[in-house]
Formats: sequence, C-alpha cells, structure tokens
Amino acid sequence: MDSGASRPAVVIDNGTGYTKMGFAGNVEPCFIVPTVVASNNSFLNQPRPNSTKNSNWIGQHNAGVMADLDFYIGEEALSRSKSSSTYSLSYPIKQGKVDDWDSMERFWQHCIFNYLRCDPEDHYFCLTESALTAPESREYTGEIMFETFNIPGLYIAVQPVLALAAGYTTSKCEMTGVVVDVGDGATHVVPVADGYVIGSSIKSIPIAGKDVTRFIQQLMKERGEHVPPEDSFDVARRVKEMYCYTCSDIVKEFNKHDREPAKYIKQWRGTKPKTGAPYSCDIGYERFLGPEVFFNPEIYTSDFTTPLPTVIDKCIQSAPIDTRRALYKNIVLSGGSTMFKDFSRRLQRDIKKIVDARALASEARLVGEIKSQPVEVNVVSHPIQRYAVWFGGSVLASTPEFFTACHTKAEYEECGASICRTNPVFKGMY
Amino acid sequence: MILLQSPCRYLLQVLSTRVQNLDKGVELDSQWVEFDDVRYHIQATVKNPNLLLLSLSLPTPPPETVFFGGLPQGAIEAIKAAYGVVLQVLDPPRDGYNLTVKLNLSKLPPDEDHKQAFLIKIASIRELVQGAPLRAVFKQLLSRGVKSDLNKIISLVHRPNESFFVFPQADKVTVIFPMRFKDSIDTVLATSFLQEFVEARRTAGLNNAPPCLWSSSPPKELEGSPDEALSANGGFVSFVIFPRHVEGRKLDRTVWSLSTFHAYVSYHVKCSEGFMHTRMRRRVETLIEALDRAKPDSEKPKNTEQTRSFRKLSIKDGRSNSNAK
Repeated sequence: MDSGASRPAVVIDNGTGYTKMGFAGNVEPCFIVPTVVASNNSFLNQPRPNSTKNSNWIGQHNAGVMADLDFYIGEEALSRSKSSSTYSLSYPIKQGKVDDWDSMERFWQHCIFNYLRCDPEDHYFCLTESALTAPESREYTGEIMFETFNIPGLYIAVQPVLALAAGYTTSKCEMTGVVVDVGDGATHVVPVADGYVIGSSIKSIPIAGKDVTRFIQQLMKERGEHVPPEDSFDVARRVKEMYCYTCSDIVKEFNKHDREPAKYIKQWRGTKPKTGAPYSCDIGYERFLGPEVFFNPEIYTSDFTTPLPTVIDKCIQSAPIDTRRALYKNIVLSGGSTMFKDFSRRLQRDIKKIVDARALASEARLVGEIKSQPVEVNVVSHPIQRYAVWFGGSVLASTPEFFTACHTKAEYEECGASICRTNPVFKGMY
Repeated sequence: MILLQSPCRYLLQVLSTRVQNLDKGVELDSQWVEFDDVRYHIQATVKNPNLLLLSLSLPTPPPETVFFGGLPQGAIEAIKAAYGVVLQVLDPPRDGYNLTVKLNLSKLPPDEDHKQAFLIKIASIRELVQGAPLRAVFKQLLSRGVKSDLNKIISLVHRPNESFFVFPQADKVTVIFPMRFKDSIDTVLATSFLQEFVEARRTAGLNNAPPCLWSSSPPKELEGSPDEALSANGGFVSFVIFPRHVEGRKLDRTVWSLSTFHAYVSYHVKCSEGFMHTRMRRRVETLIEALDRAKPDSEKPKNTEQTRSFRKLSIKDGRSNSNAK
C-alpha cells in the first residue's frame, strides 16, 4: 500500500477533560469524548507468578475475558464504572500532562480502532501537547505511536500554536498572538511570535474550569439548595455550562437580580439518583459569580489573587519589546471555559484599562515630550473556541506542507525517539 | 473490544443526531476513511434537512478480481433490497467515489425502536456493499441448487490491491486469505498469532466453529493463480465454511467477519504490541526501583532537590507554593 500522504491525516487533541478526534480537512471533530479509561484490572495487577506460570492465563480464560482488551473509554467508561465495580477509572492526563502512559496507550488504541476505525498504518497523525510538556514525554508519545501503531508519520503540535492557526482561515494568517487557554484542568497564557512559543513568558494560573464548577457548587450548598450531595458537582457543572455569563460590574448585576428576580433567577429540575424523586432548585447569583472567579479570584480562594487580565498583561510585558504591540492586538481565546457569554468583551475592557493607565502614567512622566501611539488591544473569540485547538490541527494537517514537516517512520528507525523532541514550525503558513 | 463492529460509529452518530434535530438542520460536509481504505463522504444542506448524500469508495481492486462499474457484483441489488424507499442510488456516483446514495430521513419508520435499528442498518452499509459477492456464494451453498460456478476459484478484493480467494464446492466453501504485512515485527507477531489462532480452534469449546488452517505456502486450491497473488509474507489462512455456519441470522456475521479478517488480525497484532509495552514499562519501573534502593544515602537528597525544581511548573504545586507564602 502507498504511504498515508494521499489520505487525510488523523488529528487527535488530548485534553485534560475531553479528547477531540477526527480527520484533517473536516470542520468538526468526529468525536469529543471525556479523557478517561475504565479498565478491568482484576487480572492485570496480579503479581508475576513464577511457580504457577499459566494460572493467570487459565484464570482469564475461565472467566471468559481477555484482560488486556477488557477496557472502555469516554462516556462508555463512565457508565461502565457506575454500573459495575470490576472496572476502575483512570484519567491518563492530569493538568495538561500525560500522567499514566499505560492508560494513554490504551486510550489511543480505542480512539483509533473503536472510534475512528482507521488503520493507523494508513494515516499520518497530528497530536497535540501543552506548551509546558517535557521533551521526554514527546519521545514517549513518538515511541508509542511508531512502535505500537506503526504509523507512517507523526507531528506533535503545541496547542496554543494550533489555537492561533484556527483563526488562519477567517482572518489573515496571523501567527503572532497571546493564547489564553482555559481548559478544565489548567489555564495557560502563552505568547506566540511567528509560530514560535516564547517559553520564558508563559504564565499559568491555578484557576480553571473545574474551579468554577467547585465555586458554583459551594455557593449553592451555602444557600441551602436541595441538591443531593452525590449529584451536586455534576449539577454545578451543568449549571455552569448552561446558565453562566460574564457581567460587566458585579454591584450593578446584584442590583439587577434583586430588582427583577423573575427575569434573572433560573430553575433547575432533576431527579435524585438514588430514589428517583424529582427536585428543583434556584440558580441565582452564581450565574455571574462563577465566571467572576477569573476576574476577582479573591472571592474563591485566598491563595491566588491576581486577576486573569493582569496575568495576561504581565505576560505580554515580559515578552520581547518588539512583539508586544502585535501581541496586544491578537489575544486569542481557546478551551471550553472561555465559552461564557461576553467573556471576551470583559477581558478586552479590563486589559485595555490596564494598558491605558500605563500609557497615561508614562505620558505624565515625560510631560509632552513624546506622544505615544495608542496601543490596540483586541481579544478575538470565534464560534469554535471549544475545539479551536483541534480545528487548528485540522487546518494545518490538510496543507501539503504538513506531510513534509512530519517525522516519518524511516527517520524514527534511523535515529530513534529523540527526533520527536523538536517539531519544526510550518514555513508555508505565515 | 475483541471483534470489529460492523456499523460505522461516526456515521451512526451523524445519523442519530440528525434524526433527533431534524428541525434544526445544519450544514454538514465531512469525509473520513475506515480501515482497509474504505472512504466515506456525507453531505447535507440547510435547505433540505431531510436529504443526506452519502458516498462510499472501496479499495482499488487488483487485476484478477471482477468488478462491475467499480462495485462488487450484486451490491446495488443488495442495497435496494435492504433499504427500500429510504435510500436511492444515484448514477453516476460523485467524483472519486464508487457509490453515492441519497437518504431520505422523512421516510424512516416512525416507531423509535425500528428507527434506531434502521439507522444501524444504514451505518452498516459497508458490510452490505463489500460483502455482496461473498453473500451470494453462501446463499448458493445454502440452496445447494445451481452448480455452475463450482470448483472455480473466485477472487474478491478486501484491501487496496489485495484480494482473498473463495473456492465454492458442493457441500462447503473454502475461503483463503493471503496475509501480507508491511512491518517485519508485525509479520512475526502475526505469524505466531495465526498459529495460535489455529491451535485455539482445536479446543473443546469451539467444535462447531469453521475449521481453519494456516500454512506458509499457498494451499493447493490456489494452483494456477497469478504469482503476485501468491506472495504473502504472513502465510495463508483458510477457513472451511459449511452450510450450518451461514444459516439464518449467522449469515450476516459470517460475511462481516470474513471480509474484515485482515483488519481483525492487524488490530490484534497492534493490541499485543501495546500489551507487551505495558509489561516492559512495568519491568523497567521495578528495575529502576531496585536501582534506587541500591543508591548510597548521600545521593538521595540531591535527587529530590531536582524533582522539586521541575515540579514548580505544575499547577498543583503553584497552589501549595502560594500556600506557603
């Protein structure tokens, strides 16, 4: 068979919360599934028996399972682990980094054979990693992909670069910008100049989507809403996804809610998982207080009190001086937790405020000697933010340059896994 | 997952979401490739949310197989018989595809259970198209009627430029797969997998399964076939199918398992490689532990120092660091 260049590449974006997978050239990923593996470890974790060599195999055979194939991923994994106790859940990715390579390999195996149903020997692969991944983990990924799956070519892209590339089709091919990636488990602010990540200026903050959910859960508990405790995290997550929005001013928003409660307070209806009895609860201030965690972190935690706009400003200020204007001009949002209504507008306003204050101060210092050009601040949001990284991968992998930038199987066999340490930036893109 | 399922997962997902949100029909245009180089393309417009255009292309056949207009014999008839009014075959198909059909979702059965069953049937369109010739051979075996094609070898395509062979006889059908692999490690693993596979057939529980054989040289049924069809680095596997294996509802499953046999073997080869890696990783971990234990005490604190400096990058530690402040 010919090599995979004639077929669309497979793009898999493994996030902490959800994995997006599909084929290059499509607009949407084929599947978005939770990154979780439920495996039956009752046979695997037995100590290596030396005297009774075959007992493990016979035990498995009698039970009618093949332990190494008896696992599920995604939604199936969650429902299996709920209904039976033989399966244990493991989350292969923690805070943007692969934590458990065994589960990760199994996860990929199911992604490829059960979900996408493709033959990995036929396709080039485009995988993603966060900007802070160690080179060793890239080597590991390469090893699994080339040794286990025998893929013809691999490209490991940096997520923020792909998020920038997602805007490639809509606007001009701008590859300079700050990517604000707020996922479920991690928030990173990553400056990118001409497709290269400015590693020294990356900022990360310990507040992400999961914290918003936790905050909403806490608020509802404190108000005494009757949500069954075993369900409360899930309800809070759903409330976050359906009702939350960003406000422009907390005090005004409180007043609005108090004046017209009928308009702003929503109802949540559900059934208790144990008894099946229906219940309902109110959703009030948490609608705007949830996302507010990013702008006033002190309402949620006393450990970390720098608001997101300040972090972004600091990040740009620490970048090389000749890139700063371009960076302010192109602040790109990505990740599921940036989907709150008006999130981009609020962010733009707050950053603009900081920048203007600085400009005024410097003008006052230099009394009229030099007139500075106003700095343009622009927060870009696009409709596909939730899977912007995947979409960027799909765009990149459908260009002919992609196949020349990939590490091929032949190179891997010649030099070993160390070739995966670096991944060239596409020259044709900008 | 031990066996590959016959309905295409993505196609099924597309169809069910479409049926559930018929009123909010969105633009849809996507293409994907399945194992053995079967390509799909699905298209829908906002204007006619009920109509879907589904195209399918099959692997390029090698010269020895007989194809009519790019499709296996009997495929069109099989589609018409299976789907009826819901589906309409368009002629000519889209550029680059062998088959294009128009699905009319408004003509689906109204009852929910039947509807879901029908969607699964549409998602299994590949089984129907690719398995049509094999199905015809088995039907003939069941009826034991017409003896025209007997003792003549038929070659059917299952992978790009590769075919497998069917040898119908009066009371049985022999199906022969030449197994080819690209990678040398795959070849070795697959060879031992297949030998084990044949061995497993002999255990008591599988007495009713089709007898199967593996040999490194072409079996005698293939005498007189062209040379390129007879070169296989993974040997030859043959199954003997008796009428009892294709009776009633077993027919569909037999046809699917046989037409995707190569994908099945290659899936399991990949799985066993993955399993071996897991074992190797665990072994390395225990060895490293043993090494760590053997280290003199003076080296140990230095080691923890280093891990701490690396862990500064993680968010969890960011939290505990700021706690400390």
